[in-house]
Parts: sequence; structure tokens; C-alpha cells
Amino acid sequence: MGLAVEIYRAARAVADERGGGTLESVTVAVGELAAVEPDLLEFAWRGVVEGSEDASACLVVDWRRARQACRTCGDVAERAEGSWLRLCPRCGEPLRVEGGDELDLRGVAFTAPESVSP
Amino acid sequence: MTEVDVRRKILADNASAAESLRESFRASSTLVVNLISSPGSGKTTLLEATVRALKGRLRLGAIDGDIATERDADRLRRAGIPARQILTGGACHLDARQIASALESEGDRLAALDVLFIENVGNLICPTAYDLGEDFKVALLSVAEGDDKPFKYPGIFARAAITVVTKADLLPHVDFDIAAVCDQVASLNPSARFLVTSARTGEGMDTWIAHLEEALARKRAEAPVPAGARV
Repeated sequence: MGLAVEIYRAARAVADERGGGTLESVTVAVGELAAVEPDLLEFAWRGVVEGSEDASACLVVDWRRARQACRTCGDVAERAEGSWLRLCPRCGEPLRVEGGDELDLRGVAFTAPESVSP
Repeated sequence: MTEVDVRRKILADNASAAESLRESFRASSTLVVNLISSPGSGKTTLLEATVRALKGRLRLGAIDGDIATERDADRLRRAGIPARQILTGGACHLDARQIASALESEGDRLAALDVLFIENVGNLICPTAYDLGEDFKVALLSVAEGDDKPFKYPGIFARAAITVVTKADLLPHVDFDIAAVCDQVASLNPSARFLVTSARTGEGMDTWIAHLEEALARKRAEAPVPAGARV
């Protein structure tokens, strides 16, 4: 819920810095390692925008797979249970996270006040 | 319709507030420890025992996050340290702006501490994502919660510098495989420290206190030299 509030606050700021308007959609990149469940985030988003001027705005979650690499074995494509394991399944060395931990705001679409239908 | 491409972290505002906090904690050489766990795992009880062990040796203080009631801060004040309760009114985590605001309103009472404990809202998920300017996070897991939690809630166990198993005095009464939990934590976070404690019997408390004292010593060693002290 806290993240949904942060996303809304950040998206609103993007629109307001450009003259304001009604949010249509907000796109976020969420990595597998960010410990965020996309369905729950979208559910929370509905709760945040409900009753506001942006009640119809949808949240688009761009889901990113975890990318981890082992210094010894090179890229590690396969992931064991949960994908969170930080040890290489082949040699047991710690893995380096190269992607999939994003929690980024990527896009905001909004309708400017003058173009909102009466 | 206007479409804007954005490249910013969702938690950028929080990160910026956390960085300001970190800078001020660095200047005062205050060690800041962010305790995260599910409700009832024993965060306040661990802190009460910590106060008993360190009282008179270090200046301690606490910020407590809860949805409702001042109970945790009341307990810590009774234990003898300044404590500020933040009531989140339903939010399941603390954020850096709340910490900054709490410190500002407490003024001198939470200033110039050796160690500031932040007792987060009881929750293994949401608090994980919020940087509070702390030196490190500590995850608590009581033996009554079950030994599968690190894999079920990997976010916090992957990020916590120390995992503290609590209520070890209950081990004879529950099925809790300490070695299995230790293995899970090690695979999620190879550099994490792992402690088994009981605030009731005192088991593991010496090690916990030693970790805090080592971390404080490291922080002081890294502190910037005050301008007036330079030759």
C-alpha cells in the first residue's frame, strides 16, 4: 500500500509539473527481486486512486525477471526456488545482481485540463 | 493525452530524505539500527534487554512505529531511554520523512545519541523497501513463527545485516530447525550474521551486544574529522 501511495504521489507530481490534468495510466517497472507482488500492487493502486480525480487511472506493471551472475561461472540463467538465492547453484559462490531489482516509475499518461470532456 | 517517459525510482523522495538523515547521523556518529519483524516477535523485548545491558555505558534512544497505541515507546521509556512513538494511522511501515519529523519534534531528547534504534511497524514485507538512513537492518524471527520464513519473506532476510532468532527459550515446545533457518538466511544473504537469542534467559545477548558495540566502533572510526580538530 505504501508503494502504491508513493507511485501515485510521484505520478501526480509529473502531471502537475506539466500543467496538471487527470491521470490515465501510470507505468512502473518492478523487478522480481523487489519483493513486490504485482497483483497486490495493482489492488493497492485501486484503493489509492479510488474517490480521487484519478479514479479511472490504471497501473501498468512492467515485470522484470531477476538477472544474477556468478563471477566464476559467468551468467546464471537458471534460478532455484524463489529466485532469491544469492549463491550460485553450480559452484556455491555468491551471485551478483545485475537486474531485476527495479522499483522505477517509467511513464505517466494524463489528460490536460483543457482537453477533458465536459 | 500527454504521455511522459520517466526515469526515476519510485522511492526517490524517500531515498533523498534517508540520505539527509544518514548524513546527520554520520556527523553525530550515531549508530542507527532498523529492526524489522512480524508483530510479536519480540522487538521491544529485545530492546528492553539491550537497554539493561548497555545502560550507563552508551546513550541510547528509540523511535517506535505502530498503527496505534504508545505501548512500545512507553515500555522503552520505562526501561530508561528516550523513545518517540510514531503512529502511522494504518500505514504498514515507517518512511524517512516520518523519522526526520520525529527527530525534529523530539529536539535534544533524541540528539547526540550513541545508538538510535528504530523499531519498525510489525511487518515482514513493506518496511523492507524503505531506507530510513540506518546503518543496517536487523530481521527478528521468533521460534514460534516457524522455520520457513526466510524463504517465504526473502526481501527482509536478504537485506538484513543481522538475523536474530528470538524466544529461543521456547525451543523445547516448538518445531523449529535452527540449522535450516541459518542455511536459508546464508543462501539469501551470504554476508549476514545469524544470532540465536532469548531475552528471557539472556542466551545470545552477549553476542548481540558485541555486534552493536563493534558496529558503533566502526562508525566512530569512519566519522569525519571535525574541522576544528584538523592540524
